[in-house]
Amino acid sequence: MADALTQLGFASWLSVLIASSIKVTLILVGGSVGMMFLTWYERRSISYMQDRRGPNRVGPQGLLQPISEAIKTMTKEDATPREADKIVHFLAPVVMLGATVLSFAVIPWGRMFPVDLNAAVLFVIATGGLHSIGMMMAGWGSNNKFALLGGMRGVAQLISYEIPQVMAIIPVVLMTGSMSLQKIVEAQNDFGGLGWYVFSPVGLLGFALFFTASLAEGERTPFDIPEADSEIIAGYMTEYSGMKFAVFYLSNYMSNLAVCFITATLYLGGGNGPGVDALGGFAGGLLSLIYFLLKSFALFFVMVLIRATVPRLRVDQLMSFAWKFLLPLVLVNILSASFWVALLRWDQQWPQLTEWFGAPSTADATNWGRLAIAVGLTLLINAGAVALIMRLTNRNVQKHLYTTDEELALGLS
Amino acid sequence: MNPIAIGVFIVIALLTLGSGIMVVTVRNIIHSALWLIASFIGVAALYLLMEAEFLAVVQILVYAGAVSILVLFAIMLTRQVTGEGVRVVFERWWVALLIALGLFGVIVPTLWQHGSTWEEASKLAQVGPAPVEGVAAGLQVATATEIGRSFMGEYLLPFEVISILLLMALIGAIVIAYEERTRRRRVLTLAEELALKKRGIVEPRDAEGAVVPREAEGAVILLDSEQA
Repeated sequence: MADALTQLGFASWLSVLIASSIKVTLILVGGSVGMMFLTWYERRSISYMQDRRGPNRVGPQGLLQPISEAIKTMTKEDATPREADKIVHFLAPVVMLGATVLSFAVIPWGRMFPVDLNAAVLFVIATGGLHSIGMMMAGWGSNNKFALLGGMRGVAQLISYEIPQVMAIIPVVLMTGSMSLQKIVEAQNDFGGLGWYVFSPVGLLGFALFFTASLAEGERTPFDIPEADSEIIAGYMTEYSGMKFAVFYLSNYMSNLAVCFITATLYLGGGNGPGVDALGGFAGGLLSLIYFLLKSFALFFVMVLIRATVPRLRVDQLMSFAWKFLLPLVLVNILSASFWVALLRWDQQWPQLTEWFGAPSTADATNWGRLAIAVGLTLLINAGAVALIMRLTNRNVQKHLYTTDEELALGLS
Repeated sequence: MNPIAIGVFIVIALLTLGSGIMVVTVRNIIHSALWLIASFIGVAALYLLMEAEFLAVVQILVYAGAVSILVLFAIMLTRQVTGEGVRVVFERWWVALLIALGLFGVIVPTLWQHGSTWEEASKLAQVGPAPVEGVAAGLQVATATEIGRSFMGEYLLPFEVISILLLMALIGAIVIAYEERTRRRRVLTLAEELALKKRGIVEPRDAEGAVVPREAEGAVILLDSEQA
């Protein structure tokens, strides 16, 4: 966009400034308006799943409901507790929303890349980590014990789930050989636009793990413990009302949307799909944008489905799920990703291995043969690991659920 | 330098410096930690302006994301957070000022002598794609690819040494935490207490009716039932 403006006769710095402002405005407006209708969509679908009506009075099918709610939140009284730390209390939602909006900078919209950072994957993770500051500020600044507890719980959850989330991305980075989202999208363009990572065993497991960890990062059910309504009444948002609460809500939804976008980019091939390269040019770009949005909203539908059906976890279940279930699986997945890369590029990358140590050479094998070996081996490793860890976890769960009399006697005699 | 880049640089540098000064002058210690986060983010923005993307992102991830939360947790768990009576400026503040000025006096001439590096750095800070080939040798290790190459090639030995050091720290932390854990008593759940009452075992009480701690009886319940 900046080049086109330069050709129109603007100075280069002015055209960069104008182009960046337009992009930022588009993202902000698109994000918040999109979020308003996502809330409508989510409530309608959940009410359909639970056999009730949901919003249906304002406008056709309740479509104007978000607008009426926006007016309501804007006109609502914005109360601040007398003993609260006013500035911190005010800045907390701003920090949360800022962290969310930052991550939108690197998301590839089909074939359009607002900013192609070299370390885009890390950037997304880093901005996700900034949420914990906002949460801490909200919890502490409210001067309320429930809010502080909720904030602490939220931060603990964010820190715990950041580890499996980051490590679930490592296989993708290994397979692509780059942390740039543009390169990751390009790498999934094989087989007529269908070489998505989710179709490989490594990518499939990585997709499941990343999406689960991201649900916890975005405080979605079943991991919405920080705002657990039934226990500590809205958690770190207890003392927020009116527009400040709405900003929290907005940042929450936008970060969930960003998670869907990132998952679609990393594992579902971003804007790749059959026909994008064949069309080419503007039409191909439009088609890739449509593919990308379809994949992302399908993921959002999965989030809604999970919210409608899965009950909330307890705090201890949450922690052991992250450390005892997700983390080992993620480690195994990294191992099998390195096998995948090694089997596909054995002789080009490490000719010394065959020369010096007599490792079997796959130079004679065809590309399809290598692919078959790689798929078979990684499938074996990943399926074995999933089966083993699920079995171990089930055994532990049963042990803690049903304490026998013998165990009680053993512990208390 | 590009006019936008200069303007952005001045704004970010002033913000970083200002929040750095606020860190040491603000009375409320939590506010001080929050200003520290602001200055971390300012430094990250400066890195980004120099197109050292990887460094900028790691600065946000490690310092603004992780270290600051650690600092906040540590403050909240150990101190009186209001800190109204805390003296910020001590008698010998001029000693600290002298040391800071001395350090500044070392850094500025060093940068001045390596004039070429400074020039290249400002060239790199231009908005838009910068030519990577013409960059001075010391600045080439800026992108993720270059850092990865130099970790696995030139600086492999230091990298391994640091990895072993960090691994030892990790194991040490686990060992310390584990020793701590075996001494702690397990708190019974409601269901377990109920089961105990059903089986006729009640909490041991002394003459006044207060609950006798179990350690006094010699029966210590460990956190993990396997260790009992």
